[in-house]
Amino acid sequence: MTETDRLAKQAKIIRHLVLDMIYRAKSAHLGCALSIVDILAALYLGDILKIDPTYPGWENRDKFILSKGHACVALYATLAMKGFFPIDILGEYGTDGTSIGDHNTLGSLPGIETTNGSLGHGLPIGIGMALAAKKAHRSSRVFVLVGDGELQEGSNWEALMFAGFHKLNNLVLIVDNNNLETVGNTSKILSLEPLDKKIESFGWVVKTIDGHSFRQMTRDLSFNFRPYEEKPFAVIANTTKSKGIPFMEGDYIWHGKIPSPQEYERAKKELGEVV
Amino acid sequence: MRFEVIRTIYEAALLDPRVIFMTGDLGHAHLEDYKQNLPKQYINVGIAEQNMVGIAAGLALSGHRVFVYSIAPFITMRCYEQIKVDVCYQNIGVVVIGVGAGYAYSTCGCTHHAIEDIAVMRALPNMRIYSPSSPLEARVITKYLLSQSHPAYLRIGKGGEPSPTKEYPIEINKGLVINPGDDITIFSTGTIISEALRAAKILEQNEISTEVVNIHTIKPLDVELIRNRAEDRNAIFVLEEHNIMGGLGESIARVICELERKRKPIFRCFGVPDQYNHRAGSQEFMRGCYGLNANDIAKEIMRLYKAA
Repeated sequence: MTETDRLAKQAKIIRHLVLDMIYRAKSAHLGCALSIVDILAALYLGDILKIDPTYPGWENRDKFILSKGHACVALYATLAMKGFFPIDILGEYGTDGTSIGDHNTLGSLPGIETTNGSLGHGLPIGIGMALAAKKAHRSSRVFVLVGDGELQEGSNWEALMFAGFHKLNNLVLIVDNNNLETVGNTSKILSLEPLDKKIESFGWVVKTIDGHSFRQMTRDLSFNFRPYEEKPFAVIANTTKSKGIPFMEGDYIWHGKIPSPQEYERAKKELGEVV
Repeated sequence: MRFEVIRTIYEAALLDPRVIFMTGDLGHAHLEDYKQNLPKQYINVGIAEQNMVGIAAGLALSGHRVFVYSIAPFITMRCYEQIKVDVCYQNIGVVVIGVGAGYAYSTCGCTHHAIEDIAVMRALPNMRIYSPSSPLEARVITKYLLSQSHPAYLRIGKGGEPSPTKEYPIEINKGLVINPGDDITIFSTGTIISEALRAAKILEQNEISTEVVNIHTIKPLDVELIRNRAEDRNAIFVLEEHNIMGGLGESIARVICELERKRKPIFRCFGVPDQYNHRAGSQEFMRGCYGLNANDIAKEIMRLYKAA
């Protein structure tokens, strides 16, 4: 089995976990979570992030911030797959009194670095962490994942300006660019284009990739810092909302819709067996 | 007051590389030492408060003790959600310093007046609120905050406040009796406390023995002291340079209302009515628009006290 095949198989397991958790809990954001599963699989299971699940507080670790916290179910499942905690813990999702809710919260699970939920908060926090790493002469990097719709929040542009100006080359921004937000297409609601040129003009190196291609992600997300040593790095990952379940793919309704029993059965079938 | 705060943090930062001072491009007259001697512990983020508080949170999560500084309404309200989510919800060591309490920036208009800041900061779980009345208190509270790692809001004057001629002990989180008296108590906070002291003198000349208590810690409130005075005094008053909604007055009123006894003292809060003032003038003028001066409050207290 090739490395790409291995990651694809693990991503499929994560998708099943995500679908099961969301269906069981009757919660929203299925499409948002499925959109980033491959990115998370590449980062965590493709060993791009320098982390140790047996030692989550390791000082020199890379840090990952899920700024679009509403997709956290995908992060919970990925962290479990990585071995941060037993996979059974995912069963607590959606139960009364659980600490793992619909948005990632600091202290809820090992491996969760920040609290998110309201959009536009992750990148400034990531900048603070990247600055702290530099001050301490640590080699650790900070990865921040935002949604494309999230970039409509102005705080991101304050942060993009700051990181570019201060040449934070230990900071990586990943844009989950699925062109869908809660009630329609990002390009029709408030277009970000030309996103690459805009971010570049703030002093970043920008690369656009396929956010479902493990070959591209393992090559471009584990970048060698030398070519970009004076600039932060942004990856625009083109993705498909609800990726992996064809009848849901590209339909904004799955931002918030809870699958019915029939839709759940169909989704399980379309995801397919893990072999 | 702001000079003492900035200087106290600077002196600590010289000894502790974890201490970081961030500004939203304000404080120009007092930051030269940071720029010259501590460039790695000083960040001027530019005029971008949301980003500043987020960055502060990231630094605090990485073990730094961070102070963010700007004019009070900007640093409390422009980035309110960052203070809520990034600082208070995560319960981390970021101190929000708001300069220009009340009408300190009196001529600048309501954009620069800080008359809602206590209300909005009070509503945040984990947030503590400190409101010194003098440079001496500001220094003591800042030293205390340097030793802590919880969210805090430090509400300070713009500068030029008189310092007490002699040092006095300050117990953090406790009210401080600065003028003893037996009949009534006036609770106050911040620089307007000088008006409460002058009012006490007038009242004493009219045979009303008036205690003045300095509430330099607004949250957590010294509930024990307030309960004690509410049981012991005929009347309780509050003087604050803040909207009467959500400030110190309402905070104290709640404690009094919750007392399990039938007889309650007379209560009145002197503060800014729930409106914006479209006139400009000195701080004294702005306070005077709402009777927030010694003569007016003494007159009203005498009316209420004698009618009872």
